[in-house]
Amino acid sequence: MATKARRENSAAHGAQPNPSGPANTGFALGNFKLPLILITALLLLTFTSRVHEVVLWSFVSAVAVLAAWLVYLLVLSNRRAEIHDFSIVLRPQHYVQLLIQISLFSYWGYYWRPVYDHFYLIIAQLLFAYSFDILLAWSRRRAYTLGFGPFPIILSINLFLWFRDDWFYMQFLMIAVGFMGKEYVRWQREGRSVHIFNPSAFALGLFSAVLILTNTTSLTWGQEIASTLTLAPNIYTFLFLLGLIVMYLFEITLVAGMAAITLFACGALYNANFGVPYFLDSEIPAAVFLGLHLLITDPSTSPRTPLGKTLFGLLYGLGVFGLYTLLDNLGAPTFYDKLLCVPLLNLSVIAIDRAVRSIKSETLLNVWRADWLGGRANLAHMSVWIVVFAVMTMLGKTDGKHTGDSLPFWEQACSNELSNSCQRLVQLKTTYCNDNAAWACNELGIHFRQGLIVGRNDSQAQEYFGQSCELKFKAACANLLDDNLALKDNPHELDLRLLLREGGLNLISASSDELYERACDHDWQFACSTNRNTL
Amino acid sequence: MNQTVEHDEKVPGRTVGFTIMTLVILLAAFQMSRESSLQQMQGSDESEANTQPLEGFRPAAWYLPDDELLGFVEVPAGPFVMGSNPALDPMAYENERWSNLRRQGSVDLPAFYVSRFEVTRAQFAMFTEDSRFSTDDIDLAGAGDLPVTGITWPEALAYGRWLEQRLRASPQTPAEISAFLEGGAHVTLPNEAEWEKAARGTDGRVFTWGPRPRNDLANFNGDALAGVGAIACAVCSYGLSDMAGNVWELTRSPSQDYPYDPSDDETNLPEDALYVMRGGSYADVINNVRTGVRGAADPGVRNGTIGFRLVISTL
Repeated sequence: MATKARRENSAAHGAQPNPSGPANTGFALGNFKLPLILITALLLLTFTSRVHEVVLWSFVSAVAVLAAWLVYLLVLSNRRAEIHDFSIVLRPQHYVQLLIQISLFSYWGYYWRPVYDHFYLIIAQLLFAYSFDILLAWSRRRAYTLGFGPFPIILSINLFLWFRDDWFYMQFLMIAVGFMGKEYVRWQREGRSVHIFNPSAFALGLFSAVLILTNTTSLTWGQEIASTLTLAPNIYTFLFLLGLIVMYLFEITLVAGMAAITLFACGALYNANFGVPYFLDSEIPAAVFLGLHLLITDPSTSPRTPLGKTLFGLLYGLGVFGLYTLLDNLGAPTFYDKLLCVPLLNLSVIAIDRAVRSIKSETLLNVWRADWLGGRANLAHMSVWIVVFAVMTMLGKTDGKHTGDSLPFWEQACSNELSNSCQRLVQLKTTYCNDNAAWACNELGIHFRQGLIVGRNDSQAQEYFGQSCELKFKAACANLLDDNLALKDNPHELDLRLLLREGGLNLISASSDELYERACDHDWQFACSTNRNTL
Repeated sequence: MNQTVEHDEKVPGRTVGFTIMTLVILLAAFQMSRESSLQQMQGSDESEANTQPLEGFRPAAWYLPDDELLGFVEVPAGPFVMGSNPALDPMAYENERWSNLRRQGSVDLPAFYVSRFEVTRAQFAMFTEDSRFSTDDIDLAGAGDLPVTGITWPEALAYGRWLEQRLRASPQTPAEISAFLEGGAHVTLPNEAEWEKAARGTDGRVFTWGPRPRNDLANFNGDALAGVGAIACAVCSYGLSDMAGNVWELTRSPSQDYPYDPSDDETNLPEDALYVMRGGSYADVINNVRTGVRGAADPGVRNGTIGFRLVISTL
């Protein structure tokens, strides 16, 4: 009973003067033991093998800042004879999301091991986040609500952006900004002071903008993260199924579903109009599909009304679609598309709700509230979403091979001068060359030597020929020796193991027959020859 | 009982927190833009030349040998006998035979220049510093006059291209070399015929110093590299050093059966590339340092016994 009373009290007032008066009993740690334990745990993590000397000083700096803050607050509260309190509140939206994110990390990490290697660094971020959040709440002289709240924030951030070890202190700064944004950037919504931005999306959006402006994406694992989700087989189905749990429990179907439908529809329209897929190798990039389930579905930073949620999802879809081209034209990495528009959408929430409420038509307002399934509208929305996803899957628009996976398709499209196709072709070849596909490097060398679809650059051409030649691609070695040559050859078997992976794992164990069959399916005409032994 | 009592201190304001948050973001932006500038500076920074003196070499001329032609030696135009005749060279391997019908063949080459020494670490370091080349896998440590090793075939070619640009642009380049370059020659790896002519001369030597094995004129059958030219060999063909032993020397010829055909480079493209290397290394025994020996290396391989020398060639 006493505990309950104290919780209610602390929730209302946070810092309370100590009834026993100023500290005549000496220096009292009180509830400061909690952040002290967390900071100590963060310090202890430096003894793990993952925290080597490159990342060590980021940890030490984080611990130093938190410890100094803790000591300052402790001295202050002892001087003022205050008690800083906390209450334990476990919210389903936090722990359900936590379980879902852990499932995703486990599944993805099974196919891309750096995720598992990142484990201790995620633990460190969680410890930092809890300590920071507690100290921030107590600095603001309010009680801390201890629960699973920081988990979804940290795990969400880590599903999209990690700074490399040399720059790991930026990860701590990003987390700090997320929590400060939640604490300080607020507005009045329906009579309550609430945070404007989804904390993880706010931090991700701001840091993405800075990374783009300073052209320092290479400090992060962002590109790798965005492109490795598809290494996990059937990732779209996996995300869809996880998404259904959240949709069922928290009624986010309208937001996520509408965002996905918008992206599918825009992609289909683009394809019908220009003859090539909009996104390079999928209908919706897997990371975007993930983003629309995690980044825009926070109820406190999205609209409340059904029509508002629908509009919100629609705007996210359009935003991602537009940003992809914008970033591409600016020469920035396109994986930021899903991150940059979320804070802007969060800002538009009140306007969306206001616009919806200004609609006089009851029919329109209630279009999503129809008395489907006996008034359980969310189940009706989910049913529609399930049907849409099933149709998309049957049409081959989710998992599996996409039109854009085929290099011959892009070669053909480029020679037909279809929209953006030459640029996409070079992008794809660059990706495969970076993966050490010798054929792709030789092709790039030829493009840069000839200057037909990219600007002519002889030294760049030599570098690509050299890389290809080192991978034993004979045509490239000949091209390296003679500046007037542009000798091509079909991809070798090792190249095919990379070129045909369709966003998944390299086809290391596939037999030659399987490879050539798949290559033929990708429209490599040379592979369709029956007499493969002569190749 | 509610224990709350009123107190005077205000809750720290949102403005302070917002300011701190803005400062944190600005700090991150500053750090990232600083890193961006550093990356750009590294990209455009043409490092100061390493001007440590090295006896017998000119630091101001990319550490090329300090002689009249910067270490290049002319090999006059004309024919020479290529391949090995087991009657004269009992240690000859089968792949040194010219054809089923002939043991040796005659190859006529235009004049070219060949470097007296193998390319050194100091020379290659000038290139890597100047061209932002990654040196992680290349053996550049140790004395500057040791032959560079651990380079790939494309890297050896890249060094040749870089040196050609420098020679063409520099007033220090000897007039004879400049004129040869102006005439359409390039600095590159020797082809197999050029290498063998430079090693064998026109008198058909089995070893670059003569017909019989000797232990005192080359670094072979040993356990360490020697500085280029450390073993003097006045009697060697064209006065070149280390054509036998020290390091295997890469050529620009693909590995293919004799008879030698320089125009045959573009066939069999689906096969893996393999390039001829010549001369044997410090770790080889006597039969591998003969002028006719033909080894082969994958163009991507890095090995502590493989290096190269350059030619200025019109081919």
